[in-house]
Amino acid sequence: MSSELEDRIRRAQRGDREAFSRLVEDHYASMYRFALKYCGQRADAEDITQQACIKLARSLGQFRFQAAFTTWLYRLVVNCALDWQRARRPAEPIDSAEPVYEESPDSALLLRQVMARVQAMGEGYCETLVLVLGEGFSHAEAAAVLEVKESTVSWRLHEIRKRLQREHQPGVEV
Amino acid sequence: MNDEELKQLLSRREGAPAEEARQRAVAAAMAAFDEEHAHEKTASQTQGNADSERLTPDRTSQGSKIMNLFTASSSPLQRWVYSGLASAAVLVLGVFITTQVPWQGGMDTPPVNETALKGGDATRAARDSALEEAVASAAPRIELQVEESSRAFSGSRANVVTPESSAPRPKLNSRAAADAATSRAEEVIVTGMKRAPAPAMAAAASPLEGIVAPGYQDSGRDRFTTADANPVKRVADEPVSTFSIDVDTAAYSFVRRMLNQGVLPQKAAVRVEEMINYFPYDYPLPTGREAPFSTTVSVLDSPWKTGNKLVHIGIQGFELQGAQPRSNLVFLLDVSGSMNSPDKLPLVKQSMALLLSRLQAEDTVSIVVYAGAAGTVLEPTPVKEKQKILDALNRLQAGGSTAGAAGIQLAYQVAESQFVEDGVNRVVLATDGDFNVGIHNPEELKGFVERKRDAGVYLSVLGFGQGNYHDALMQQLAQNGNGVAAYIDTLGEAQKVLVHEATSALFPIANDVKIQVEFNPQTVSEYRLLGYETRQLAEEDFNNDAVDAGDIGAGHSVTAIYEITPAGSDSAVYEPSRYREQAAAGSGKGSEYGFLKLRYKLPGEQDSKLISRPIRIDADPADAAQLREARFASAVAGFGELLRGGKYTADWNYSDALQLAQANRGDDPYGYRAELVQLIRKAEVAQAM
Repeated sequence: MSSELEDRIRRAQRGDREAFSRLVEDHYASMYRFALKYCGQRADAEDITQQACIKLARSLGQFRFQAAFTTWLYRLVVNCALDWQRARRPAEPIDSAEPVYEESPDSALLLRQVMARVQAMGEGYCETLVLVLGEGFSHAEAAAVLEVKESTVSWRLHEIRKRLQREHQPGVEV
Repeated sequence: MNDEELKQLLSRREGAPAEEARQRAVAAAMAAFDEEHAHEKTASQTQGNADSERLTPDRTSQGSKIMNLFTASSSPLQRWVYSGLASAAVLVLGVFITTQVPWQGGMDTPPVNETALKGGDATRAARDSALEEAVASAAPRIELQVEESSRAFSGSRANVVTPESSAPRPKLNSRAAADAATSRAEEVIVTGMKRAPAPAMAAAASPLEGIVAPGYQDSGRDRFTTADANPVKRVADEPVSTFSIDVDTAAYSFVRRMLNQGVLPQKAAVRVEEMINYFPYDYPLPTGREAPFSTTVSVLDSPWKTGNKLVHIGIQGFELQGAQPRSNLVFLLDVSGSMNSPDKLPLVKQSMALLLSRLQAEDTVSIVVYAGAAGTVLEPTPVKEKQKILDALNRLQAGGSTAGAAGIQLAYQVAESQFVEDGVNRVVLATDGDFNVGIHNPEELKGFVERKRDAGVYLSVLGFGQGNYHDALMQQLAQNGNGVAAYIDTLGEAQKVLVHEATSALFPIANDVKIQVEFNPQTVSEYRLLGYETRQLAEEDFNNDAVDAGDIGAGHSVTAIYEITPAGSDSAVYEPSRYREQAAAGSGKGSEYGFLKLRYKLPGEQDSKLISRPIRIDADPADAAQLREARFASAVAGFGELLRGGKYTADWNYSDALQLAQANRGDDPYGYRAELVQLIRKAEVAQAM
């Protein structure tokens, strides 16, 4: 962690508005990016990110510098995303909303379908997939964010690959 | 869909966050931030607020530190050690739970393998170290178990073994869990050896070594009834001693099994008379036909107490002459799941096959099994169709629960259907001891066996296996069924009981044999009977023919030993009485220690016959052979007394027993006596541990 960042966090923790504002502005983009990949829809991603920002304000005081700030932050966003996931009505149809990616609505739809399927595998799979394949985290880093073992991350990814493979095998071209 | 596609899908150039949404979020965050800190400010500015003094949980607690050990430890070594420890703990817990679940038998795989796998992330290192610890602590575990069980049975602190050992014990909080874990782990190790074929011949040659531990085995549930050692009695108070003879040998085999495992047996498992009677003695054969057996009496010095004498009473039954009586045997075999181990059902099959070799062509054999339900496996079949019988035996498989009573009823039914007049009608029960289902009440079962005995069908009991051996019930059933209770731990023992001594086990020559000795107060001040604690009779029952007692088979030899203190010897344990009248001297019987009386019934007869003879002070052993036999019997008796705690043997110890046994082995054609010598050595080792 750069000393500049650490300094800023400490100041924000002491109540420095300026420092906190800078902190949020700096990290908004990456939080949003993760949320978007997770939920697949712009509006939902904005909601999640906003919730994450509010939560950041409330709980920054609890950050103890024991882990990297980004790890901590991602954990926070993942939790917000999970809250959103749980609050969402379960039977919400996938293809009712506006496209996410302007240039290729197909791939956006595909992503949402894939994510829905991964979501159906159980808790923890979506986050793992997004962190590792979307954000390019190593398994260890993803494990740190999700507070699970590295082997669990590897296992989840393996499972995702296996199941997606199997579901596509019978020739249903997506 | 492969990884690349997924990655591509996820990392597609996404739309940049909308500026207004971003600002909304930042504003919301700032509002929350302000709220948070405004609250903080007002809180800290309040006068007299003690919040800052108060201990709040908003600290890194010990708990979270511990939780982070597995994930956030800086060094991989630390992580390894902690997660290894955690895995081992989970393993131990799992094992503990599995051992506490009472298994229905029939388990093929040792449960620990499963548990180890279920341990999931248990690292190889953790498992290896757990096994190492298990090996190191296996011996102390068994000792503990023995100590615990003997404590449970005798109700007093057992000084059989000291549980201390230099072997490292696993550092686990729960001792019980640790013990359970080691017991399971031990099985894994032994089952590992199972891959190598265990040849039956090796098992026969060296008892136990060839026998591998079963997949599932109870432990520490062997049940024995505790009988306090016969006390020293004053002749002046109680000059008459009465007991029934006992030809069982089960105690010796069980003791041997425990000693071969390197532990001392529980005290209650040691019955001195059964140890003595395990060995054949070279007593003179009965000369005439008027009595079915001969009695030999000899007196020699007590090896463990100077001044005391040992009175040996030897009884030798006659050998069968001419044709063997026809027999009708019903093998009643326990095939419940608990019999599923190499030293149980397979040994039962081998034993029964051995017994077949001693039967004549026209004798009949039937096989009844009991488990979940009782059933006849083999209708009465003449022995000449040996292959048919062997096939039926080999088809048997263990599984299900134990309903012994129903099986017993069926077996008696089969036996009665083939009843042979003037022959031997016998049910041979082979079991590891449990009668879980059926007639629960042992008294009822005994009553049943007793009634059938009076109708002419006898019962012999062969005990197998250990860990859940129900010795007490076996003994009672055999006693009530006019049969022998033998414990078969190896093929060698099966050969001894069912081949070499088959005639003794199958063909009784005298029933209800009782011994009564009246000591002469003039010459003997105190006496004590070694063993036969469970066979004591009331004095008045000696002449009561309705009272049941032990039976002698063809060729059986039975030995009883009294330790006496001659009058005037300073080795007495009782102080002389100041007021009691001393026995009048010089009444003409001063040359006798006492008077021996024996009562017996010939098979099928209701009235008993009496043999009597005095025990003379100068009844030295007739020749060198008799002296040797008497000394060997003393050595066995002394060894038994030592195993029971050595209350009466003063400072005589295992090496003295060893010397005495070693010096009087005789020609020992079957090597039984040589084996005893080895057992004494093993007891010495086990005691030192």
